[in-house]
Amino acid sequence: MKESTKFAPMYVAMIGVPVLMVLSAIAYFVYPPATTVLFYLITLGLLAFGISGMREVYLARREPKGIPVKLAKKEAEDYAQSEKKELSGRDKEIKLEIARFNPSTTAIGLYTYTVSANRFTTVLELLQGVKEKTDSTLSMRYSCRMGICGSCGVVINGKPSLACEANVFKSAKDGIITVAPMEGHPLLKDLVNDFDDFFEKHRSIDPYLYRKDKNAQYAAKKEYIQSQEQIEKFLPYSYCIMCGLCLDACPVVNTNQGFIGPQALAQEYRYYADSRDQAGEQRIGKVDVLEGLWSCEYAGACSKVCPKGVDPATAIQLMKKEAMKSNITGNKKE
Amino acid sequence: MEVLDYDIVVLGSGIAGLSAAIHASRIIGPRCRIAVISKLHLMRSHSVAAEGGVSGVLYPEMHNDSYDLHCYDTAKGSDYLGDQDAIEMLVNNAPKEIRFFEHIGVPWSREPDKRILFRAFGGMSVKRTAFAADKTGFFLMRALYDTMLKSENVDGFHEHFVTDLLLHKNCFAGLLSIDLATGSTKLFRAGACIIATGGYSRMYPFTTTSHSATGDGTALALRAGLPLKDMEFVQFHPTALVPSGILITEAARGEGGYLRNAKGERFMDRYAKSVMELAPRDIVSKAIITEIKKGRGIDDEGAGMKYVHLDLRHLGAEKIDERLPMIREMTIKMLGLDPVEEQIPVRPAAHFTMGGIHTDVNGSVISSTLSGTVNGLWAAGECACVSVHGSNRLGSNSLSQCAVWGRVTGTASARHTRISVAKDITVKMGEDAEERINSIRDSDGANDPYELKERLYNVMGEHLYVYRDRRGMTSALAAIRRIKEMYKDIRVSDKGNVFNTNLRDALEIKNMVELAEVVAKCALNRRESRGAHARTDYKKRDDKHWLKHTIAKSVKGDIAISYGPVTITRWHPKARTY
Repeated sequence: MKESTKFAPMYVAMIGVPVLMVLSAIAYFVYPPATTVLFYLITLGLLAFGISGMREVYLARREPKGIPVKLAKKEAEDYAQSEKKELSGRDKEIKLEIARFNPSTTAIGLYTYTVSANRFTTVLELLQGVKEKTDSTLSMRYSCRMGICGSCGVVINGKPSLACEANVFKSAKDGIITVAPMEGHPLLKDLVNDFDDFFEKHRSIDPYLYRKDKNAQYAAKKEYIQSQEQIEKFLPYSYCIMCGLCLDACPVVNTNQGFIGPQALAQEYRYYADSRDQAGEQRIGKVDVLEGLWSCEYAGACSKVCPKGVDPATAIQLMKKEAMKSNITGNKKE
Repeated sequence: MEVLDYDIVVLGSGIAGLSAAIHASRIIGPRCRIAVISKLHLMRSHSVAAEGGVSGVLYPEMHNDSYDLHCYDTAKGSDYLGDQDAIEMLVNNAPKEIRFFEHIGVPWSREPDKRILFRAFGGMSVKRTAFAADKTGFFLMRALYDTMLKSENVDGFHEHFVTDLLLHKNCFAGLLSIDLATGSTKLFRAGACIIATGGYSRMYPFTTTSHSATGDGTALALRAGLPLKDMEFVQFHPTALVPSGILITEAARGEGGYLRNAKGERFMDRYAKSVMELAPRDIVSKAIITEIKKGRGIDDEGAGMKYVHLDLRHLGAEKIDERLPMIREMTIKMLGLDPVEEQIPVRPAAHFTMGGIHTDVNGSVISSTLSGTVNGLWAAGECACVSVHGSNRLGSNSLSQCAVWGRVTGTASARHTRISVAKDITVKMGEDAEERINSIRDSDGANDPYELKERLYNVMGEHLYVYRDRRGMTSALAAIRRIKEMYKDIRVSDKGNVFNTNLRDALEIKNMVELAEVVAKCALNRRESRGAHARTDYKKRDDKHWLKHTIAKSVKGDIAISYGPVTITRWHPKARTY
């Protein structure tokens, strides 16, 4: 809606209400009381109309324009409310509970620390603070601290998240933050998981652009033509930072370690959907097995926790469709 | 100590390291084996954080561009300290690398006619930077890592922290590493090694780089007695997000963003009238600090520092979402601030280190005697100083540098006649090194490594930031030496074997302190202002005395400095104005 049309009800009410009040006053002297009541009712209606219009304008301003698809609506609302705050913020005390895995006893123990945070502080910074100031034996992974390297996947207040992207004030519940290691991967120490199996699963789906002429691929003399439309077919699936959160969230992975998992399957689709890839239906054939596509029960948890907006759940269903198609037509390739 | 034999070891798994491994693996043949070693998971190297793009002249006729113009821009950007034979090599090979990345899966942003789209960058006369939204480095890394998985003869070693570079009689012998997962040591023996460990910007408190950018490979070379070059030149990126230091890509200005001071003025017209916000990074950084020093910065107690504003509001939501989605995602998630409606608080932060391991134009590491090269040792990417960037790097030249020299060194190491140093000699050296690690792990001294890091941060942020002077740098050098002395009485609290990050951090901090001493000494010695090295007591560039590379190496615990010539071919120094 354009700004001017949004304001229309307000302007109508602003001009209309005084005019009607004057008219009702005149009417009081001419035809009391019926006309007066009528005029009052019309005035009230117009006033309500004006107020509703103002509400529209208020709501429109409150809602940030064009928030990227990746941000959930709730997040957009949160942001809108914090929008007008100043940059500066006071320090607040936070109770930080860390579930630490002990490699020698293989038990997980809960350790509590009192830390302070301001409006900018991330959960990763709290963890680093504990390590550098209180207890140097704490271990966790981190590197880029800007949500792109995929190191710092942990479970924050029950939700698999990247520690560097989790704002403390937004994540805390009653001033408490609980950080636990992911349990969809084997544990090494404290908050650190073993990713060997995860990487092996990724490798098993041939995660690279397959070209028939390999020499031409490496010599790179001429570019491959690709339209923006073709790019958009695979782009949403190429944002995977291999943080492993989706495997932690997946109910199937947690009960069946043999399931190849949402990350690898989404990457298979990413290469399958890329117009430059020449492996074709072989990719579908590769995952058209029980421990592949067909173990997915479409819980959708993977897509929900993905910090980069990748949607493995949809990718898997799209591949199931392709697999069914080739099974029915008998064009299945191993 | 486990001993592993390889033909080539690649230390570091960023764009340079992975490129080197991929190209070497194709040439060397299936029987030879390559190891890629990283202290992180291989795909998590700092290269993922690169946002802006890769420079290269792909469609000269379309953008009115030429190789010569790219060379000229780079030479001028380097304040004429870049070696021009190296610059020509970069420019000639960059277009091929852009196409190669496309061939392995990078989703370059495209023109409507399906060609690769290019954007403007600071210091580049025309649009010359290919990009994939503002996650270019990430897409490059994923494509390279995935392509590496295809090579049967490459083994990746995740989370192995290399502590020692072993050389024997000017010949590469091996690397000693700690496997973080188990705490055990592994000795890699090989006939060739490529160091690609990235820069050392993490010695600064306010930096755009990952926590891993601690210059480990450069420090290894320094300890092995190898020469380092131009270590005083540290690039400060003008627009890092306050207060975390997260990078706001230069593309934000390339796409038309404005810089404003507290009064709302676009102050760049005072410093670079013709190109405004798109001046090279050193000039914009100096401009911002000057504005802040003159009281025209925004003062914010909560953020704990003064800053200026980056204004993207006039670009509109649509353009920001299409070209700069990560910037918007990050500022909303981390600051609760939408660049569509509000200005972004920014300030210069350490971003790139032009200096590094002294190599020749082909990436071969120069030997400790400064004559000839070390047999079987190369360096590529940010940890190497070829020197392409001279005293100031132009944005988007770094990714091309990593790709070009990744391929060059990978190819060279595969073609090289590899000499293996006798096993018993290497193993003996490895055992000595292992003892040193164990003594650090067992150390129970008075000084906490993180406290020393804080001290180092204070020194670097105070005296070796954008503007430098003699008095500050002298006290900085003394302070760094005190920290180095204190390090001898270090304490490692974690005595465990499994994922002992306390030990790793202590070793990283050692590397940073040692490199900081070199940076301070080289900077103090260079009595001029050139590119990123801006002195308030020597304000002018002095080609007569200082058009030369600083070469530093460790001699008996002290830093010995000498100077080497700059290669000038076709672009002779003149005044650098924009």
